[in-house]
Amino acid sequence: MHTTMRTRIPARDESLVQLGVRSGNWDYLVALAGNPNTGKSTVFNLLTGLRQHTGNWPGKTVTRAEGLFTSGGDRFKLVDLPGTYSLQAASTDEEVARDTLLFGEPDVTVIVVDATRLERNLNLTLQVLEITPRVVVALNLMDEAKRLGIGIDPAALARELGVPVIPMAARRGEGVDALRAAIQEVARGQVHTSPYRVRNFTPDIEEMIREVEEAVQRAAPGKANSRWVALRLLNADERVEASVPEEVLQVASAVRWRLSPEFQDRITQGIYEAAEEIVARSQLAGLRRARFDLDATLDRWLTSPVTGYPLMILMLGVVFWITIAGANVPSAMLSELLIDKIHPWLQATTTGWGVAWWIRGLLFDGVYLATAWVIAVMLPPMAIFFPLFTLLEDFGYLPRVAFNLDSLFRRVGAHGKQALTMCMGFGCNAAGVVATRVIDSPRERLVAIITNNFSLCNGRWPTQILLASIFIGALAPAAIAGFVSATAVVGVTLLGVLAMFFSSWLLTRTVLRGEATSFSLELPPYRPPRIWQTLYTSLIDRTLIVLWRAVVFAAPAGAVIWLVSNVHLGSLSIAEHVINGLEPLGVLLGMNGVILLAYIVAIPANEIVIPTVLMLTVLSGGAPDVGAGAGVMFELDANQVGVLLRAHGWTTLTAVSLMLFSLLHNPCSTTIYTIYKETRSAKWTTISTALPLVMGFVVCFLVAQVWRLAVGG
Amino acid sequence: MVDPRLALLVFAALTVVALAVAWPRRGLLARVARYRRLTERVRVEDAVKYLFHAGAGGAPVPVEALSGALEIGRRSADELLDRLAALGLAESAGAGARLTKAGYTEALRIVRSHRLLEQYLADRTGIDPAEWHEVAEAREHDLSSEEIEKLAVRLGQPRYDPHGDPIPTASGEMPSTAGFLLASLPTGDAGRIVHLEDEPRDAYARLRELGFELGKSLVVRARRTTGVDVELDGVVVPLPRALEAAVTVERSRARDTTRARTLADLRPGDTGRVLRLSSACHGSQRRRLLDLGVVPGTDIEAEFRSASGDPVAYRIRGALIALRRHQATWVELDARGAEATGAPPDDAAA
Repeated sequence: MHTTMRTRIPARDESLVQLGVRSGNWDYLVALAGNPNTGKSTVFNLLTGLRQHTGNWPGKTVTRAEGLFTSGGDRFKLVDLPGTYSLQAASTDEEVARDTLLFGEPDVTVIVVDATRLERNLNLTLQVLEITPRVVVALNLMDEAKRLGIGIDPAALARELGVPVIPMAARRGEGVDALRAAIQEVARGQVHTSPYRVRNFTPDIEEMIREVEEAVQRAAPGKANSRWVALRLLNADERVEASVPEEVLQVASAVRWRLSPEFQDRITQGIYEAAEEIVARSQLAGLRRARFDLDATLDRWLTSPVTGYPLMILMLGVVFWITIAGANVPSAMLSELLIDKIHPWLQATTTGWGVAWWIRGLLFDGVYLATAWVIAVMLPPMAIFFPLFTLLEDFGYLPRVAFNLDSLFRRVGAHGKQALTMCMGFGCNAAGVVATRVIDSPRERLVAIITNNFSLCNGRWPTQILLASIFIGALAPAAIAGFVSATAVVGVTLLGVLAMFFSSWLLTRTVLRGEATSFSLELPPYRPPRIWQTLYTSLIDRTLIVLWRAVVFAAPAGAVIWLVSNVHLGSLSIAEHVINGLEPLGVLLGMNGVILLAYIVAIPANEIVIPTVLMLTVLSGGAPDVGAGAGVMFELDANQVGVLLRAHGWTTLTAVSLMLFSLLHNPCSTTIYTIYKETRSAKWTTISTALPLVMGFVVCFLVAQVWRLAVGG
Repeated sequence: MVDPRLALLVFAALTVVALAVAWPRRGLLARVARYRRLTERVRVEDAVKYLFHAGAGGAPVPVEALSGALEIGRRSADELLDRLAALGLAESAGAGARLTKAGYTEALRIVRSHRLLEQYLADRTGIDPAEWHEVAEAREHDLSSEEIEKLAVRLGQPRYDPHGDPIPTASGEMPSTAGFLLASLPTGDAGRIVHLEDEPRDAYARLRELGFELGKSLVVRARRTTGVDVELDGVVVPLPRALEAAVTVERSRARDTTRARTLADLRPGDTGRVLRLSSACHGSQRRRLLDLGVVPGTDIEAEFRSASGDPVAYRIRGALIALRRHQATWVELDARGAEATGAPPDDAAA
């Protein structure tokens, strides 16, 4: 006869090591579980403050946050489990959550529950209660529930569930002290919990449970949780299988042949029926109809075929307009301060101190200048665009946009929310990539990440606008020149949108073909946004991010640019060597060597492409009276730029190719870095980088050849 | 500067070459990969698997059948059988061959790998159902027994694959298949589909196109020489003989085959009570719906459509959730409406 393979289940300490949880500096292990979007991170932050760090679950691409807090002399290690709806271990997130609870045996498990979605949240809660009795339920979003007219009695809920229930409004910091106290009491065993166990499954399932339970009882009479053991055996739980005798396993195995494909459905049904009853017995009042009516009216206007689209275009148009118009003055001011005033001052002062020319050059002309440029160009638009977007998001409008546009995205295998991440990408591609976290289906999320680059980000607008007005507006009579160049820029933007749809379609047919997909889109209730608070927080966030990016990515780029222009190999600088080497390829693509080199060194930041191009043009082609020297990026007004470039052989084709390439080249290094952090996969990062680049090469090449054939160079 | 015409020509030529090499399934790279995969071990395993399925009735399998199924010449088939005999997996019997006890065990192991992989593909990936069998065929030889067992644990030791076939346990248990071929169902009788043959691939795809799915009820209306007329989803569908042979059924009492009312049939303002989720909804899609609370017995109200008509926003357990139309067709509703009490449907399976 064959023997069944019995997996060896590791002891708790081993498991903790496998799960990457170091022991030593804590007394009790606390796991933090809950559905996504329940304010779990807020609770985590409230409990641990600054004593936290983010890492990875070993062997998985899921990030993990863990931290420490003390209470009453005991030290607690808090591990944030991934947000999951269930513990069926059908996705990596669920696997991690379930394994931690089953094998890590936390001393306390805190489940963060959304009071406005109680039934749905109880699905996870009841599943956790099946595994461990040492649970504290953090009933969060009580302020939101109050606003919607939902009343939950925490004491009644605690009676029903058999575990402590702590009402909280984590956003306002309310309830965290009570939570800490409850965690401590459960950890020390001062509170006795009798967790709710689901007993009302469908008759056929109850029958199967009974059969296995009887076998368990026969093998170990009087065993307290035989029903739980039976359920776990029906689910082929390897840990429980390893702990029961062979005869029980045989019975379970035989019974399992009668499991229907709808077994999991029925189990979930039983859990939900239990959840309904629990909620009914814990509720103080139902949802106020008045609130619903306002929401319904808003929805009618925002999603109707007649008014939905115009309102959407209007709202997005307003956001873009405010950004462009509002950013001009601050950008000019920053530019004047940082570049026109401070930069020369730095040079002058340090020259007076006798600092060597190359140190001054590298630090001020290279590093400082690049950083200053990025800040001056990017900071104002980012500080306006994103706070506005966050306001719309807080209000609850953005999911309705995804709702309206979804059918368009479905056709190319993407998610309606990609419309939103695409819009974010118009501000900054890295932000757009981070925003894809709201897309909770793996395949659609990858599509959104990889194609985000085709949204023309803020850093590329100046390039497009400048080239369009010099080379394309110039082709039209002066009266409508402005209009023509604006149209050209809009055209390029729309081309980007087209490229996004095309590459989404291509990706889902080829590389992303077999990825799992699961669509759903929740439309949350509308909420009056806390305007000043949101604007303030978002402003600070954005400013910090721009500054961080400038220092980490743009500064080194500035150094490279300066070095490349001033270090000589033989009689020419490195820059000139590379420009000559790249010239043939550049011409093939309708551009030139200067542009290609500029793009290589400007991988970190698109904003510095034009200043670098100008500097390199002057460097390689003479005209020494223009600009401030080798390696010093500069800008001129539009007319001067036109004269300079045309003098160096630039034609309309060069401008058109550059505009197309600016749209279709690889993402900036911040975006590449962000993509890697979000996907944790070298494969997808490479594809995200290579796809637009290859498309850029192909499109520029074809346009150049056809243009030359048609117009003659 | 390069002549544009020359440049375009070279580009076109390179593109054609690239496509010829990289085209899925028919390109050069795909063919080479397929050829390299067909090592001897793979041939042996394929032969054992074929003998298992073809020899299910107990009769020896003729060599011609083996050579046809594996698409190899008669001589290669003979050599292959000799190899199997040398390995102790098969023995000759009459004009053909049959598996030994050791061969039968080995076959069960291979079948287990194959069906577990199919279940994995259905449960964890978005690969099209028509391709499950083929992809599983390609990958089953690459996994070691250890990896297969790990996969089984990850999937929760599933009992059946997505085609309704039982998955042998690691110790070689497998129940005898329930049900009988559609060909044996008398005219006028009702049956429930319990298994759909996954090979050949086109036949399986065609059956799915016609609406055949596990769990659906059908009634035999008429038998002809060319095939059979079957009532499915309330409509009479002619089924050619070849496709008829691919359907296995169980006797059923449910004579009403009208297409169930689904969530997609609800107009804004209507409410329905969930009866079940269709078996066409599998993997992460099904789990998502369950996670949201779309389980048998749930009341759902359709609230409003999007500006483009699809998706539709539904009120599910207090939350407003938008679902696409094709997803809504997976949610079958109780015909009796939301007011009815939750009595179980006709042949409610476990």
